[in-house]
Amino acid sequence: MREVIAAPLAGLDLRQHYGHHQSPAVRAGGLIFCSGMLPVDPLTGERRHGTLTSEAHVVLGNLKLLLESAGSSLDRLVQVHALIYDSIEYDVLNRVYRQYMANGPPARTVWTAQIEAGFKIQLDVVAAA
Amino acid sequence: MTEKFQRSAIQPENPLLNASRKSNLPHVPGIRVGDYIFLSGMVPIDPQTGERSHGPIAEQVRVTLSNMRHMLESAGSSLELVLRVHVVLADISHMAEMDRVYREFFPVDPPARTAWSMQLRFGNGCEIECVALAG
Amino acid sequence: MSGKREAFPLPVRAPDTSNGSSQPMSMAVRGGDFLFVSGLTAVDLQSGARMQGTTASETRQILTNLKQLLDAAGSSLDKVVKVNVLLHSMLEEPNMNEVYARFFPDQPPARTVCGARLPDGVKVIIECTALA
Repeated sequence: MREVIAAPLAGLDLRQHYGHHQSPAVRAGGLIFCSGMLPVDPLTGERRHGTLTSEAHVVLGNLKLLLESAGSSLDRLVQVHALIYDSIEYDVLNRVYRQYMANGPPARTVWTAQIEAGFKIQLDVVAAA
Repeated sequence: MTEKFQRSAIQPENPLLNASRKSNLPHVPGIRVGDYIFLSGMVPIDPQTGERSHGPIAEQVRVTLSNMRHMLESAGSSLELVLRVHVVLADISHMAEMDRVYREFFPVDPPARTAWSMQLRFGNGCEIECVALAG
Repeated sequence: MSGKREAFPLPVRAPDTSNGSSQPMSMAVRGGDFLFVSGLTAVDLQSGARMQGTTASETRQILTNLKQLLDAAGSSLDKVVKVNVLLHSMLEEPNMNEVYARFFPDQPPARTVCGARLPDGVKVIIECTALA
């Protein structure tokens, strides 16, 4: 069974706001596959450009909202691809990221990639349902 | 109804390959959940010394995949159970050399794979992650 | 362990590497509930020839091939749960997206898109995970 997880708040519906042809997340086989989460305001969908630190907080906060609305949580993350715009921000990423992984972090790979709209971070995650 | 899977962390038997713990990083070497094992990205680390193992890309790929084998076997899985691999190279022109070594580790019914190039930290020539079936 | 592993090989005439042998990967591998599909580039599935073009045309070729592969493996486009799209430039995202939308009309999968350095001048690579 494959089930689309709807955006719990309007701002997290990137298809509506930006035309990105994707669902916020899909549940299947006991796992939840999330679309790459971006630093957008969860209420309005507006882009929240900032420092890597500020953008990371927005992204992780959004993931918390999304996963909890689906009956999961950040504590149930199994894999993260952390996309950052420049590997020089690796330590900064860790400083923020660590704060959200208090109950045991998941597997992770950090990718230095070109992210849309000049964002500094995008998190691509899989969680246990 | 689908059971709620519990996740558990995987550790390599060789502690020198536990980059997460060694450097106090916010990740684990791998996570087991349900039928699957998700490994964190692995880079070329000398399993004898725990130091970065740089050199020709062929050697870096060989070391990384050997370490991946060890990681999977520590968790009761194996290279034969790998389902998907992501190979990231610092230099896209290294693809052919990477392929040459890679095929030694997956000679029969190789996993699904996507390979591309990105900026990598610490002068690493490759970073490789995978998803495998738990043993 | 309940998950059996089954590999679906590359087509016989897959793109050659510089040493003349085909790339060491399966087209897709089934394990547990899921089918893991390799990163696909724009090729003609019959001949293995590269179908170089625009990001839009390459996206169309890839997703046309993907539909065929999934159907042959007992899955389908509407069973895809997650897609990763790698673009040679994020400026091309709208061009990719416009074509992509036509292949997943309802309840589209989750997706992550990013820009990276891709091999052989390809403009786009698409990989996905589907229910088997």
